[in-house]
Amino acid sequence: MDCNIFIYLLFYFFNQLSATFTYTEPVLVTLLQQQNRDAFSYLYDHYAPALNGVIFRMVEDRELAEDILQEVFLKIWHNFPNYDPAKGRLFTWMLQLTKNLTIDIMRSKDYRQQQQIYGDENSVSELAGMENGIGKLDAIGLNKHILLLKPEHRILIDLAYFNGYTQEEIAKQTGIPLGTVKTRLRAAIIELKKIFQTE
Amino acid sequence: MEAKEIIVSGLLDLYAAGLCTEEESLEVSYWLQQSPEIAAAYAGIQDGIEHYAMAQAMVPAGDVKEKIWARLPEEVSVNRITPVKQPSNSVIQMNWKWLAAASILLLIGSGIVNLLLYQHVQTLAIVNEQTTRELADSRKGLNSLQADLQVMQNRYTEAVKLNGVNATPNATAKIYWLKNTGEVYIDPANLPDAPAGNQYQLWAIVDGKPVDAGLIVTTHKGNTYRIQKMKTFGHAQAFAITLEKEGGSLVPSLEKMVVMGKL
Repeated sequence: MDCNIFIYLLFYFFNQLSATFTYTEPVLVTLLQQQNRDAFSYLYDHYAPALNGVIFRMVEDRELAEDILQEVFLKIWHNFPNYDPAKGRLFTWMLQLTKNLTIDIMRSKDYRQQQQIYGDENSVSELAGMENGIGKLDAIGLNKHILLLKPEHRILIDLAYFNGYTQEEIAKQTGIPLGTVKTRLRAAIIELKKIFQTE
Repeated sequence: MEAKEIIVSGLLDLYAAGLCTEEESLEVSYWLQQSPEIAAAYAGIQDGIEHYAMAQAMVPAGDVKEKIWARLPEEVSVNRITPVKQPSNSVIQMNWKWLAAASILLLIGSGIVNLLLYQHVQTLAIVNEQTTRELADSRKGLNSLQADLQVMQNRYTEAVKLNGVNATPNATAKIYWLKNTGEVYIDPANLPDAPAGNQYQLWAIVDGKPVDAGLIVTTHKGNTYRIQKMKTFGHAQAFAITLEKEGGSLVPSLEKMVVMGKL
């Protein structure tokens, strides 16, 4: 029996629904494993702003962040078979992928050369651009919830989850003994959860 | 290690950041499968991080999505991919196909059942309407019978039999006169049907003079009228019915008298 007509109908319904449809995570994951473009579109619409924010805070350059965002989503598409739901949520996986890819790009020869050129050409405007970037970050990114977070907790969370620092690097950067990074991070996360639970 | 100890150690928080050693990662993934408590704590950490990231989101320029889509590999139709994929996958695909087929059939089946049920409901509605109408008719009939009975059973009622006169010896009628109120009712059931263009009229003989007591309806659309209320009289010596032209007369045509009865 040829069921293609039914599948076609199902796809049709899916397409009709996709504009208003909210995928549950398991459904989204299954569809992405099947390389469904509607699901990928949903994924982009839903997560691109958050991931773009993450990249921007790492590179502090809007245009570069968006270039990296492209690479990130292409990597998500190609590497999706490697995603294992048992290891964590979709966003957790995408965040780690984003962080690692951004670090790789920033460490790459091309990127450093580019920065070098910019720095040589006019370091003053580069500095102004940096400040501009940070200013934008404060204006756009930081909502009132994040401002409730103690600065030392915020720094810790940023370094661990959003900057890709290793435990050693975190210890060095913050002056926290290496052995207590874990427990400090725990305290920061508990506070973070509290802040978002009282929303 | 106890689940609580693991949770407070901060290892899960490191794991969520991807900062664990390989050995630690293996341990954590084992615990996540073993302990729902640990899994829940890990979910909580991920929630917090996701919220934190969402709160600092920056919407990228509109063309970024297009640029990404332009770089996605060319779309291959699902049908063509399926046979190339691993056999296990195509088995799933097949099951899925059958599932899709089954659900469509179920949908069609449910549609048909709905249609049949709808028709059934329509039929029932018609029957119901008919029954309701019949019930209302019966109730109306019963009510009028009860009204008749009340007149007859009233303790003040005096029944007067009007007998046929010479021209119409077989005709009879009955008057029920409520002495306390003076109400007059007539049962014309045994009057012959009035010829077309004619109508029976009741007269009360008061102090020797005939006074109009109202027109009698004998048939109406095939239904014989039972007991009907006529005009009210405080006193009367006799009642008589004459056949008059339709609409009645002011003065009785005595030659057309059908029945008469004295009190």
